[in-house]
Amino acid sequence: MKATNYKTLIVASLISLACTTRVSEWVLLNALPNQYTLIYFDKNPVTETVKMQNKEVVDRMKTANIQFKTVVRNEVSESWYGLYYEDRLFARYKTPPETKTLISSPLREKVASELMSGKLCVMVYLKTDNKEKDDIGRITLQKALGASPFGNIISVVELSRNSKEESLFASLLLNVEDDLKDISEPMLFGVFGRFKALEPLLGKGITEENINLMIDYLTAECSCLIKDDLPGTDILFSGNWDNPTTALLNKIIDDNPALGY
Amino acid sequence: MQDDTISYDTLDTRPLPKWLTDQKSGVNTIQPQKITMREDNSLKISFIATAIIILVAISFLTVYILRRHKDRA
Repeated sequence: MKATNYKTLIVASLISLACTTRVSEWVLLNALPNQYTLIYFDKNPVTETVKMQNKEVVDRMKTANIQFKTVVRNEVSESWYGLYYEDRLFARYKTPPETKTLISSPLREKVASELMSGKLCVMVYLKTDNKEKDDIGRITLQKALGASPFGNIISVVELSRNSKEESLFASLLLNVEDDLKDISEPMLFGVFGRFKALEPLLGKGITEENINLMIDYLTAECSCLIKDDLPGTDILFSGNWDNPTTALLNKIIDDNPALGY
Repeated sequence: MQDDTISYDTLDTRPLPKWLTDQKSGVNTIQPQKITMREDNSLKISFIATAIIILVAISFLTVYILRRHKDRA
């Protein structure tokens, strides 16, 4: 067989493989996370001291999905740092040390390590700290995962929206949609890929049916329609996404092909 | 993210995330190919092709036989 024929055969096999990859695995392997932007606003041209301190900030964030910009504007009264995602302001900081916790936190590291270990997704349950409301959603979630054939490959983490240690993570999640901060209901975020958070189920919307639909979305065969229009917002995180463990989902579907449709 | 700007009065009327509505309506799943009925022209084409071949063969043979007779004469 000629070399060209071999190449054609290899490309065809790769294409056929890509078409049977599931959404969760395809996004983890292929979809690069969108970039956040940290902008330093100042009234005056940046001095050498400020340049040095900003260089430290940039060096710290090298491995995260974030870029740095400096903007000099006359109307700025006091210098500040703004954290943007697309054109939306997520957070404001007055000094560089405040940006230290931007790119990572213990819970974000835990979520990332679960995603890298081959799990289908991590469901982040954002609590209101109203026990009654939180319990309803938690019980529904436990029931849904208990009954799902994929329950064992889904991790659940809980986070209070008032948490001080994870305040930035909670804030990033609450910025996935622009009205979430004003809704005091428990929320369930499906986090998959390289820390992409789906728009959440919230309050009464946390039902077994909707949780199963979320699982169905993540276990579906990755169609071009999904690839072209991935939902969700990428969470700011500094992590190495190379060489993840093979998706645990594949074994479940290989053992039970009926679950793959 | 683009879907979150629609206004709503109560939480019950808040629009559902697009991924959820797409999933409910089956848009995200790979759709089977739609089979549509087409007019079957194969028989017609076959007749025409056969007729053309016969005509070409007859013409060729006529010319051949006529030339042969001419040469003999």
